[in-house]
Amino acid sequence: MATMRARHKIRAPRRGLASSQTDDYDAVWSVLSASLTEIHTKNASTLSFEELYRSAYRIVLMQRGQDLYTHVKEHEQGWLRGTVQKIVTDSISTTLVCAQTQNASELLDQSNERRAAGEKFLAVLKEAWEDHQLCMSMITDVMMYMDRIIALDHDKPSIYVVSMALFRDHVLNTKVRPDSDLTVMDVLNSTVLFMVQLERAGHMIERPLVRHCTQMLEGLYETVKEEESSKLYLTIFEPAFLEASTDFYKAEGRRLLEIGDAAVFCRIVTQRIEEEHERARTTLSMLTETKILALLDSELILKNIDEVVQLEGTGVRHMLDHNQMEALHRIYTLNARVDRKKEALSKSVNKRVVELGSEINAASIVSPAGVTAPPEKDAEKSKKGKEKERPANQQTVLAIQWVDSILALKRQFDNVWINAFMRDQGLQSSIMASFSDFINTNPRSSEYLSLFFDENLKKGIKGKTESEVDALLDNGITMLRYIKDKDLFETYYKKHLSRRLLMKRSASMDAERQMISKMKLEVGNQFTQRIEAMFKDMTVSEDLTASYKDHVAKSADPDHKPVDLEINVLTSTMWPMEIMSNSKEGILPATCVFPREIEALKQSFERFYLDKHSGRRLTWQASMGTADVRASFRRSNGKIQRYELNVSTYALVILILFNDVPDGESLTFEEIQSRTQIPHHDLVRNLQSLAVATKTRVLLKSPMSKDVQTTDRFCFNNDFQSQFVKVRIGVVSGGANKVENTDQRKETEKKMAEERYGTIESAIVRIMKQRKTLTHTQLVSEVLSQISSRFVPEVSMIKKRIESLIDREYLDRVSEDPPTYDYVA
Amino acid sequence: MESSTQSEYVTLVSCDGFEFILPRSSACVSGTIRRMLDPSSKFSEAITGRCVLENLSGVVLEKVCEYFLYNEKHKDQANVADMDVPAELCLELLMAADYLDT
Repeated sequence: MATMRARHKIRAPRRGLASSQTDDYDAVWSVLSASLTEIHTKNASTLSFEELYRSAYRIVLMQRGQDLYTHVKEHEQGWLRGTVQKIVTDSISTTLVCAQTQNASELLDQSNERRAAGEKFLAVLKEAWEDHQLCMSMITDVMMYMDRIIALDHDKPSIYVVSMALFRDHVLNTKVRPDSDLTVMDVLNSTVLFMVQLERAGHMIERPLVRHCTQMLEGLYETVKEEESSKLYLTIFEPAFLEASTDFYKAEGRRLLEIGDAAVFCRIVTQRIEEEHERARTTLSMLTETKILALLDSELILKNIDEVVQLEGTGVRHMLDHNQMEALHRIYTLNARVDRKKEALSKSVNKRVVELGSEINAASIVSPAGVTAPPEKDAEKSKKGKEKERPANQQTVLAIQWVDSILALKRQFDNVWINAFMRDQGLQSSIMASFSDFINTNPRSSEYLSLFFDENLKKGIKGKTESEVDALLDNGITMLRYIKDKDLFETYYKKHLSRRLLMKRSASMDAERQMISKMKLEVGNQFTQRIEAMFKDMTVSEDLTASYKDHVAKSADPDHKPVDLEINVLTSTMWPMEIMSNSKEGILPATCVFPREIEALKQSFERFYLDKHSGRRLTWQASMGTADVRASFRRSNGKIQRYELNVSTYALVILILFNDVPDGESLTFEEIQSRTQIPHHDLVRNLQSLAVATKTRVLLKSPMSKDVQTTDRFCFNNDFQSQFVKVRIGVVSGGANKVENTDQRKETEKKMAEERYGTIESAIVRIMKQRKTLTHTQLVSEVLSQISSRFVPEVSMIKKRIESLIDREYLDRVSEDPPTYDYVA
Repeated sequence: MESSTQSEYVTLVSCDGFEFILPRSSACVSGTIRRMLDPSSKFSEAITGRCVLENLSGVVLEKVCEYFLYNEKHKDQANVADMDVPAELCLELLMAADYLDT
């Protein structure tokens, strides 16, 4: 070659590369156009890509690219109009055309026919589309050089895009029949919708076929710019689909409501959601998924949820009552879809909680006369002895039952909450609020809860493992959380606790301590301070008793048999004295006249104690004590039978009286009272247990009757019989903690109110001391926040306290608008 | 010839009859050849795996093939040294590159 000699000279490209062929555009085009037809008729394998490509390349190099572009476009248009259009319109049977104008009922009659026709049409359309796509991608490949040069230089869309637009215009937008306005697109729309309708009605349809058609719509755009939002799918099909779906689900919602079963409703709706989700993924397009689901949410759920929740006999109430977790879970899920707060659900759950709670409340305050406690409780009660059958005790049982029922209810709802509501925070707090509501509507809730603890700490925990006890106490603490008047609870708890401690009725001190620490965690230090002081008194007293015994052992003369003394010295401010001693007007009860032996013992202890702690005053609470007595009964046959009696201190005093009474003689009630000075009320109770209770009839009363009258006479019963050597004589309605009667209750309330005054006043003073000046509203809200952990005071109460403090010159009113107070130091 | 569609190697033929056999992946560096061999379009090249490039002489096609392999070898690397191109082939290679969409 000549160029080889000048190595560094750049060789000109050989222009004459294609010179052997003609430069005539028309000739080249005619070859090309023939080839394009071949491609469309699927004969491409006879063609050489390289040859076609080179032809297009040459045309472009000839500067005739524009012409080529136009010609290809025209060629495609011709092909689509001439061939494809006919195939597609032919595939649309008359059934489909008519279907457009018919109403729904007729449609169903012809559904099979229409379905077959529709499937045929869709199949043909799908094939036409796929062919077009494939051919166009081949042609675009061949024309790539042209696309690169022309489309870029002249800002024209690629030939592929143009041909897609041609398909839209000349296939989809053509009229089905020359004489109708219906376009292929309309038929396609209605056919796909029909298919969806069939599927919703439970028929199987050919999903892939429908999917191909919607994919086609997704691949086509309104303009050649091909913006996402101008997809035919989005502009034409989807609105129609959503509209049809809205209608369908409106009707569906009505239909489901008419069935009137909430569980069924939820199940079907859940199923529908799943179906639409599936449909969007497999049959239509992912683009629609969120929209159709939103539509379901608003049409099916939002519009109907309230009604469904309240459906009589099958709604949430029914589900809760029958523990239908699955249904509840469904309804929860549905409600959560449309409402973050799940208002409909929580409203009805709360309503049910309050309803059930009120039932429990009502059951607990049935008047004693009409009480019919559940049988199992009866059985349990009869074991506890006859005194339990008294109305007051029945009330106590009811109180404990009340707590048990609430705990059971709480467990039930906790269970629902965990299993059906996915531990939803909002629902939890709303359920808790409802519990708190109804618990606090029962004015005796604090007392009942304390009784519940009392009962359990006395006997409930026997034979239970530590973890069971723990769970039991935790349950009670949970309830304590709901109770607003915690100070009232504290009062009752102290009262019940003092009985347990003094009468040694507590089953386990460990459990008691555990309880205290739990309460401390729950409501704070201040709350348990006094209760802890009570425990401290108990331990100190134990030491004291021991050291007194030592002291007696050393000092006493050996001949004299000392009476064993076990003593509890209690700090009067920490213990609920007034409640224990049953005093009415707050005056200290006169202590009874102790018999010689006891009086000596008492004085000996007083000397011993005051030696150690001078300046203290001891008050003897005979009503709280017990004594063990060995009593001898002289039978009529001369034998002597001995029993060990465990009696209250008062009973002891009464019995010792009879030591001095000769056999056969008797004492009147008044005589006993004047000699012992035992308060009337206590005397009646003690005589009742000594002379009326059948098993412990140590005294004989005449006349025999159930009640103790002031005119009755008593004598010693030498024929007393018992199968045990040791006999416990309980004081009638004395030893056991039980529900207060109305008078006691009024008393407690009065005391409570006084204590609250004090608490509020001290809170006000504390706050004002720190803040010096505050407006009325600020002060009230501060007070509320400070003492709400103990109880929830009424604003009017706070107001009264403020006024009282102003009267007593602790505070000063400095301004009227807004009302403001100053602290007076 | 069905099997050659899937064959790992393809044959490129120059206008003056030189044949170059190279891996399909290398040949597909060129957009044109890639489309030519696309199995979904049923052109004869795709079926036979043999592309006759009437526009290119043997000398140029050799250099083109060298480039294909060079390109594939270094496709994941940065700062690759330029390939040595004889000056006299420059223009013809440019034309070829345009034609082959490389």
